[in-house]
Amino acid sequence: MALEIVVMIKQVPDSQEVEIDPVTKTLNRMKARNVLNVADENALEAALIIKDRAESHITIVSMGPPMADEAILECMGKGADRGILLTDRAFAGADTYPTGLTLAAAITKLGKFDIIFAGEETSDSSTGHVGPGVAEFLGIEQITYTRSVRFEDGNVIGERELEDGIEIVRARPPVLITVRLGSNIPRRQTLRKKIDAIKTGVETWTLQNLGIPAEWVGFKGSPTVVRSMKTIKEKERAARKITVSEIGELVKELAGNGVIKMEVEQQ
Amino acid sequence: MTGLINAVPTDKPEEYRNVFVFLETRKGAIVKSSLEMIGIGKEIAEKVKEKLVCILVGNDLAPMAKEAGKYGCDKVLGAESPDLEDFKTMPYAHYAAQFISEEKPNIFLIAATHDGRDLASRIAVKSRTGVTADCTVIDIDPNERILLANRPVYGESTLAEILCKNHRPQMATARPGVFKVPDAQDGRNCEKDIRRVRVDPDLIRKEIIGFRPKVEFDITDADIVVSGGLGLGKKEGFQVLEELAKELGGVVGASRPAVDVGWIDRDHQVGQTGRVVRPKLYIAAGISGKAQHIVGMKQSDIIIAINSDPDAEIAKYSDYFINDDVYAAIPELIKEIRKLKGEKEVEIST
Ligand SMILES: Cc1cc2nc3c(=O)[nH]c(=O)nc-3n(C[C@H](O)[C@H](O)[C@H](O)COP(=O)(O)OP(=O)(O)OC[C@H]3O[C@@H](n4cnc5c(N)ncnc54)[C@H](O)[C@@H]3O)c2cc1C
Repeated sequence: MALEIVVMIKQVPDSQEVEIDPVTKTLNRMKARNVLNVADENALEAALIIKDRAESHITIVSMGPPMADEAILECMGKGADRGILLTDRAFAGADTYPTGLTLAAAITKLGKFDIIFAGEETSDSSTGHVGPGVAEFLGIEQITYTRSVRFEDGNVIGERELEDGIEIVRARPPVLITVRLGSNIPRRQTLRKKIDAIKTGVETWTLQNLGIPAEWVGFKGSPTVVRSMKTIKEKERAARKITVSEIGELVKELAGNGVIKMEVEQQ
Repeated sequence: MTGLINAVPTDKPEEYRNVFVFLETRKGAIVKSSLEMIGIGKEIAEKVKEKLVCILVGNDLAPMAKEAGKYGCDKVLGAESPDLEDFKTMPYAHYAAQFISEEKPNIFLIAATHDGRDLASRIAVKSRTGVTADCTVIDIDPNERILLANRPVYGESTLAEILCKNHRPQMATARPGVFKVPDAQDGRNCEKDIRRVRVDPDLIRKEIIGFRPKVEFDITDADIVVSGGLGLGKKEGFQVLEELAKELGGVVGASRPAVDVGWIDRDHQVGQTGRVVRPKLYIAAGISGKAQHIVGMKQSDIIIAINSDPDAEIAKYSDYFINDDVYAAIPELIKEIRKLKGEKEVEIST
């Protein structure tokens, strides 16, 4: 029986192109191109690596505006079999709680699943909280911040990147995995799969399809609200020009200020 | 298991009292980022004259409970079992949420480490409340007892203040390395309630089968970081940087392309997709100063840029700008530091 894999992805504004409006101090997303969140590309690649070795069926699930179907098609062009876009005005303005709930409701509707993948976090929100939230709603275990994942003898083995080392974890499906940004090299789309993806198309599910109340999702269903946004003052720096011949003076100055320590090394 | 269920506003938020801090542990000790949570947790608890309660989940908790008391925690709540020896998300989240439902805290803080973030939103969902991720400024409105959770967004350019007014507890994860570790003192009062628990076998669904400790010194721990970019031109450039770093008691960092071409390991990468460092001194050698690199080092106390291009973007992020070839500047730095050390050595010995 094929492994049922779900990959949760998000379309985000290209972080290289995002600008902050100097007057309103809000994000000027209009100017930025929309791209597939980079860590999600790594999550998809981790799923595809499993599919390369074990018979698998990959479904992409994403919550977003109608145009986010582009990001889903891109994933299908790389080898995902099915794409579902959760789109509804009611979903807008969601914090991590209702985002997780909406995704979990969709996955529940899909039926059987073995492994759910997600990127470690998105570049536009950087919480890393949605994946674990989904696992909680579904009542399954999780392996987060993985830099490699393999499927072996019916188990998922993930190497987690922690602050002080690599933790190797084994879990039996169903399990949710989040994948570190940059942990693998995502493959390219193939022309053939791209054409297939366009033929297959992306399914659109609205709130109605999920069968949960409108008050539970989007802004209404969000326990947190943003009260204010302030520009973080960048430290002003002098950029004092120093020539190579003045380096001796610079070193003395830094040593004088205690920035660099001159303790004689213990022999 | 929570099931598909919404977040619910709390009926009587006034009944929710005290600040909870979840303590992460390693080999029988509380990790540094969790001690930082004791510091900020105590600070906000005192502002509203409430208690700081620390949550411990693990095995043999007594020494860690004692340590928590020394750092200023008023009460420790613990769930202890050999089955909890290793970090496992489901049982850890279960006991944290159980303590919440019993004790009704107003605020719940966790360090935003990987394990901390792994747990936080699961605990929030179990408690049907919200959580603000990766805060760098945390305060409390003393009258309303509302947590003011501030987090940087949009590549650290903006600070967003996020409130969770109607749900309890008000949860936040807080960025490691930002808040101060409080002073430890013996003889502080700390009530301890550590329970031997029998873990429901259905909660044990993963197993830690190995751990490889980091061999490399973590660049985020270093006081001085000497970083190199493509401007070094060759792999050997990093040996020169290594020499300078050694002379300064620092470590070597790198731009992403320098890692990508294989001159140095990815553990050294500074920036958006690498590590964020905040050393006392950051030296950027042959690095152009693109935004993705800058976010990883702009919080350094002092920045020295070495770049042969007079118009390099890095200049405006620097306190000192050495507009020259790295291979002229770095050996000179090494020479001058050795010279100064030599002088000092003479002073000591005479
Ligand atoms: C999604 C994304 C994430 C990214 N994440 C990161 C990240 O985490 N970290 C990161 O660093 N980058 C990251 N980047 C890449 C980033 O945009 C830049 O490309 C990168 O920082 C440039 O590296 P560099 O400064 O080493 O190289 P270059 O931009 O090529 O700069 C080399 C510099 O060296 C100078 N130079 C050349 N020869 C000499 C010499 N002999 N002496 C002195 N100076 C010399 C040149 O004047 C130039 O300024 C990311 C990019 C993307 C798209």
